Amino acid sequence: MELSFPSELGYEKIAREAVAAFAHRLGCDRERVEDLKTALSEACINAIEHGNRDTPGLRVDVSCIGAGDRLEVEVHDRGLKRYESSGTVASIDLKLRGLAPRRGMGLMMIAQLADEAGFTESADGGNHFRLVVYFRKL
Amino acid sequence: MLEDELSVSTRERDGVAIIDLVGDVTTFAEEKINSAYAQVTGQGAKHVLLNFRQNDYINSAGIAILIGIVTEVNRNSQKLAVSGLSQHFQKIFRMVGLAQYADIYQDEDEAIKGFTTAA
Repeated sequence: MELSFPSELGYEKIAREAVAAFAHRLGCDRERVEDLKTALSEACINAIEHGNRDTPGLRVDVSCIGAGDRLEVEVHDRGLKRYESSGTVASIDLKLRGLAPRRGMGLMMIAQLADEAGFTESADGGNHFRLVVYFRKL
Repeated sequence: MLEDELSVSTRERDGVAIIDLVGDVTTFAEEKINSAYAQVTGQGAKHVLLNFRQNDYINSAGIAILIGIVTEVNRNSQKLAVSGLSQHFQKIFRMVGLAQYADIYQDEDEAIKGFTTAA
């Protein structure tokens, strides 16, 4: 399944519902569907806000492949800003003390919700983010 | 732009200021949530309950807003709790560390009882 949408916040909700419906049809259990929805939302938000710098004329592409007991999702943006690791994620304590930005938890959330997650090489200059969720078939 | 529809309202019950959040808690929610919190704080609230609806969508931007609320709660020596979160978002709250700063209850009644017991 493939989706393409403008780089506007809010569209990630459409992507998450579509991919959730796909996962459900594959027999994915409810808890993993919820994990997938949240992980995908965060990946799409990163693509919209960072990769495509909130530029509505640029697209975010989402592709999903379901095989057996796993669902593999890729999120592609146009790479106006290439991903650069910012090191470890600041703790909530640092955020509460004003020593770190309150945002910036998306990749941490993805890492904890998905079984595999990370940026992959791309030949087209955009950021390609891949996440994989394993699930028990219902 | 696909803006979210978030309804935020405030009420009081048994000495607890309740902020009802119905809809998506995302970056678009900041003004409404902060305004509701400022309102109940201005009215002298010492116990604040964020009451979510089970199926709402909360993303990392929304969590950042809630971290901001926790910052203010700590500054104002208030006590904060949340209720109505789905099992999934209870997990998210624990994952990001919010559970250290806000008690998580299944529903409003349990939360009110929790505030009363702790007082």
